[in-house]
Amino acid sequence: MDVTVLRDPRPFALLSGVQPTSVACLHFDKKGRLTVFNSPAEAFFGISVTRNISVMDLMGAAETAGTLCIGDGQRIAALIAKHSSRFFFETRDGRYIMCNKFTGDEGLTADFIDVSEALAIGKSLQRDDLTGVSSRQELIRALTQRMKAETPDQAAVLYIDLDRFKMVNDTLGHPVGDNLLKLVTQRVAAEIDSRDMLARVGGDEFAVLQFAGAQPEAAARLAGKIVEMVSRTYLIGGQVIQIGCSIGISLVRPDTRSADDLIRNADIALLKAKTDGRGVVRHFTDAMHQELAKKRGLEIDLRRALALQEFALVYQPQFKIDGQKLTGFEALLRWHNEERGFVSPGEFIPLAEEMGLIGPLGEWVIRSACREAAAWSEPLTIAVNLSPLQFRSGNLVNVVVSALANASLEPNRLELEITEGALLENTDAVIQTLQQLKSIGVKISMDDFGTGYSSLGYLQRFPFDKIKIDQSFVRELATSSQSQAIVAAVIELGRGLGMVTIAEGVETTAQLEALASIGCNQVQGFLTGRPTPHEDVIALIKTAFPKGEPA
Amino acid sequence: MMTYRLIYYSANRLSGDAEMLVSQIDAILASSRRNNRVGNITGALMFSQGYFGQVLEGPQSAIEATFERIQRDRRHGDVELLDFSPTSSRHFDRWSMAFVGERTPAVADFARFASKTGFDDSALSGHRILEKLLERVAVPDAF
Repeated sequence: MDVTVLRDPRPFALLSGVQPTSVACLHFDKKGRLTVFNSPAEAFFGISVTRNISVMDLMGAAETAGTLCIGDGQRIAALIAKHSSRFFFETRDGRYIMCNKFTGDEGLTADFIDVSEALAIGKSLQRDDLTGVSSRQELIRALTQRMKAETPDQAAVLYIDLDRFKMVNDTLGHPVGDNLLKLVTQRVAAEIDSRDMLARVGGDEFAVLQFAGAQPEAAARLAGKIVEMVSRTYLIGGQVIQIGCSIGISLVRPDTRSADDLIRNADIALLKAKTDGRGVVRHFTDAMHQELAKKRGLEIDLRRALALQEFALVYQPQFKIDGQKLTGFEALLRWHNEERGFVSPGEFIPLAEEMGLIGPLGEWVIRSACREAAAWSEPLTIAVNLSPLQFRSGNLVNVVVSALANASLEPNRLELEITEGALLENTDAVIQTLQQLKSIGVKISMDDFGTGYSSLGYLQRFPFDKIKIDQSFVRELATSSQSQAIVAAVIELGRGLGMVTIAEGVETTAQLEALASIGCNQVQGFLTGRPTPHEDVIALIKTAFPKGEPA
Repeated sequence: MMTYRLIYYSANRLSGDAEMLVSQIDAILASSRRNNRVGNITGALMFSQGYFGQVLEGPQSAIEATFERIQRDRRHGDVELLDFSPTSSRHFDRWSMAFVGERTPAVADFARFASKTGFDDSALSGHRILEKLLERVAVPDAF
């Protein structure tokens, strides 16, 4: 093999003020065939170099060897062939390379110099270290500059968030995750126009600042392409990887005040895209902003509500059908805010879950319900709803034990209602918690049975004390034979498994009679009693149990 | 490094008349053969009006880089990866990229199951693509 050192690279390096770590020199004849090269060239391109190879093939080989990013080989070959005397590019492992070209009668010589270190300081502020694309700061700077123009022309910000990236990172490890981010970067970079800017703005978040094309069509078109390309399968380290992405878009409008506004709007649209599903693209609208502002306001009030004692419990009575005897109450959470009035639990409970407030709020409910029930004149049951998220904290058993002890309430009077949702994740751990609760004497009910997955497997895996038949079936009981059949089957199931059945949402005597005829044990609903404040509960119990008549 | 085999099929988005298709396919084959030679990759490409089917064999990293290049190509879409696994032997060791074209019976057969009317089990499809390609390329004058 001919290995010829073309010339000492040092004078040139001094000229450019850079201390080279390695210089690869290649000389091509007029036909574009490699004639001479130096020894660092092979290490530089990560391939075994042979004479007579064409520029294109050499760069293609460097691409296949993983030295150059896919697509860069062709680009570099074209730049060498053209009249540019100096250009820069980045290798796949993030080295920043300066190429100097000299054309002569004999052909052309190209020097490749690693200038990474010299550029590292200036680069780190503008560039994302891992992917080499612009940083968040650089994106904001470029956007601000563009918006300062007297007539800011059309531009769009596309905010991209990867779906399932965290799972890849967690299960396959950070090196695979890092490689994936690099490939995503390259795929997106290949889709954008040379006038556009790509930035990595967070762990698995990217942003494209789009200047090319007529809006809003151009942004929508680009977003569609990006979703498609990012969602295509990846192969990394022998693994097949599938991810996706969601995109939020905001456009520069006459009333856009700042780059921050534009980015915030794109982020809001992204949030909307993510809640609407995966692989979704959403354009920012003012309605989204209002919706979010409303939600933020509710969040602020909700955060304060516990301290301001704006929560209260109301109690809905539960009756045994046979003998129409009061057996207990279900505690229901109410929030009354001075300005908002009553806020529906359907509105604030999901928000509390999202904000991580459900832990303290749920604890407050358990403690308050136990304390108030302990004051009743009869040992009736008190049912309390649990959020699936309360099982994640790991201290649910402690909270329950402490609430019972503080209130001096017998454990068998407390019934905890869970939905199937609680059993969907970490099923074994949740069942273990339920078993601990059951072992101290607390009763466990399956709430909303029939509406979710209705997996009979759950009934088999844990001996629930009670099954609650959802009101949607009860409502249609008198009119639909299907609902009748379902309710009858659930009641039969409960009887077979030794579980008490209770129907909720009972509003008419026809429903009550139908339930009685098919053997349902208990009822609750507007027909037998609305949720009432605690003061009225005391009176209700006194009426139901005149002195001397035990429960 | 361990040798891997990769099989995929995809919906081709090439457009134009027969002559234009031929020249586009030629260009794809030329660049793929060039890249494959330096990457020590062998394989076969199958083309029909609607679909591409391709088998690649070679070192893991080269296969991954090549597939990444294929994935970024807009001339096809709906890429369905049927097989990506280590293999002890190469089936196409004599071809940097063998080609099986439109009018061969193998392709007609392939188009039938690729349209998912008959088979949709991916392992079976991958195996069948491989088999059909082997049938054709085993006869040197098949193309």
